Amino acid sequence: MRMKKPFLSLLTVVGLSVSLLAGCGNGSEVKSTTTGGNAAASSDPVKFNFYFTGSQNVKDLWDSLEPMFEKQHPDIDVNLVYIPSGTGAEPTYDRIVAAKKAGKGSGDIDLYEDGITSVAQGTKDGVWEQLNAKDIPNLSKVNTDTMKDVDNFAVPYRSSAVVLAYDSSKISNPPTTLDELLQWIKANPEQFAYNDPSTGGSGSSFVQTIVYKDLPEEDIHNSDPAIMEKWDGGFDTLKEIGPYVYGQGIYPKKNQGTLDLLMNGEVSLIPAWSDMVLQQLNEGLLPDTIKMQQITPGFNGGPTYLMVNQESDKKEAINEFLNFVLSPEAQEVIVDKMNGFPGIELSNMSQEMQNKFDGVAEGFRTFNIGDLGTEINKRWQSDVAAK
Amino acid sequence: MSKEARQSITGLAMVLPSFAILLIVVIIPIVQSFIMSLSNGSGGYDLSRYTYLFTDKGMRSNIVFTLKVTAITCVAVILVSYTLAIYMRFNQGPIVNLIRKTYMIPLFIPGVIATYGLINLLGNHGWLARMLEVVGITLPRIIFDEKGIIIANLWFNIPFTTMLLSSALSGIPSSIIESAKDVGVGRLTLFTRFIFPLSYKTFLVALTFVFMGVIGSFTAPYLIGANSPQMLGVSMQQVFSVFQEREQAAAIAFFSFLLCSVLGAFYIRSMAEEEKAKI
Repeated sequence: MRMKKPFLSLLTVVGLSVSLLAGCGNGSEVKSTTTGGNAAASSDPVKFNFYFTGSQNVKDLWDSLEPMFEKQHPDIDVNLVYIPSGTGAEPTYDRIVAAKKAGKGSGDIDLYEDGITSVAQGTKDGVWEQLNAKDIPNLSKVNTDTMKDVDNFAVPYRSSAVVLAYDSSKISNPPTTLDELLQWIKANPEQFAYNDPSTGGSGSSFVQTIVYKDLPEEDIHNSDPAIMEKWDGGFDTLKEIGPYVYGQGIYPKKNQGTLDLLMNGEVSLIPAWSDMVLQQLNEGLLPDTIKMQQITPGFNGGPTYLMVNQESDKKEAINEFLNFVLSPEAQEVIVDKMNGFPGIELSNMSQEMQNKFDGVAEGFRTFNIGDLGTEINKRWQSDVAAK
Repeated sequence: MSKEARQSITGLAMVLPSFAILLIVVIIPIVQSFIMSLSNGSGGYDLSRYTYLFTDKGMRSNIVFTLKVTAITCVAVILVSYTLAIYMRFNQGPIVNLIRKTYMIPLFIPGVIATYGLINLLGNHGWLARMLEVVGITLPRIIFDEKGIIIANLWFNIPFTTMLLSSALSGIPSSIIESAKDVGVGRLTLFTRFIFPLSYKTFLVALTFVFMGVIGSFTAPYLIGANSPQMLGVSMQQVFSVFQEREQAAAIAFFSFLLCSVLGAFYIRSMAEEEKAKI
């Protein structure tokens, strides 16, 4: 009985301090970053804030790249701010825009990592800095067409491909073209699944690839809303295969949703990010029988971008960092850690790396349809999900 | 200063901080989202966002679906919790002790983890399906369906509701029950005439909590719900951050606030009536 009271008061103290800390969380974070900014004026290292989002593998990547860079550049301090996927990417972008609109400068977000949608949005809102090879010499190693797609407003520093992941114990010869895939889906009811396109890139890639299946190649680089009229055929196809997909029309949430189904054998074929499949095979999360197959023409995959906040006052340090990220040595880490494609052209990489990508480098097509990606998701929700 | 004036000033001063918090955290955001939901995107203000809520096929089925899931969950939670609470109040023995010790466990398991646990348990190739397969029973689809959402909601809501109702029931003096039994009152009458009226207030509080918790639930419906129809919380998230239609999301938010306030008003009225009766 005597034990009870101290325990209770301890619990109260812990509870109180936790709630206090939770309350202060946001405020203290902002404060510490501002003091970092002031310190830059003196001889201390220049510190800039790099906000990035994604799954754990993205965090692991930056956690290993940052010390490499800071060792080479002791005068620059990169402050990594990781926002777990799905919790805060949108608010981060909003903070950048809000700070600009309020005339508050960069809002302490100097560098930001995200997909093509954010690049397009920010280009429209005028928040990204246009980059050039004079400030960032290694930018010349990046494919010029990819840079043209984003008008030099972002650095495509790594790429991923969406592929078909399949269970080789059930499928001996997987589909190799989109038409074969569609036939396969109908011939094997409930054995194929793709995730809700608004919740993850692999499902979104499948939907976009189907929607643009019979459209001319140049349309995938066009964000003109007039193209939306040409989508009917693609959406008809999606509606048609609806009854043949997993659960006769169940679309799991997030990229991991379909991988989970593949893992426990509920389906045998899914579209998935190649890096996620490779990583989970390495970690033994997926059974060894899972194999990958790219189709021709490839699924919509593409780069992840780094964007510089136009309002940032630490651009020199950021350029230095971007130059490092595009260097062959950093790119090699990216390929090893993420199982992804390098952001720079393969010819700049070591021979060993070039051999590794022999024949698969052209495994994806980059779509740049701007805001239309959101429109596709919206229409998918009302046409396909709501049947 | 008279004693009464001083007292009323003290009273006001004590109420002010909580009112200020209520104003900043609840009232102003609601008014703001209402104003936002009225803007039609081209500078003007009208009710087009609300018209969309009730005319769009998908959105309408979302609303009906949400209300259906909420109603079923409320009834089921209250039934199970009341039964449990009454059983624990009027019985003794090892089973009661076991229930008393374990029924709150779900409260300590985070929502996301519980949801993934349910997926693993109830999924098509989950534990339950594998165990039933041995005896030759095929488990019907539970996950990615409204059944999954309802089961998850029961898991989240039963412990807390049972806790509330138990404490109300333990407040009923045993003497009342015993004297009623002495004069030969049957079990049903005992419940409808004594136990229920004496715990009615808590029952209403519990119902309000369950209703509001379920109607705004997100994690479980997001992970184990179907793609369509969706619960309003999931739909709101999709409209807000995927489609980036803030005004439309504000309209859904305001609408679910209205739904909750119906129950809230009902609750406040009955409380006020009780207060009046006391005076």
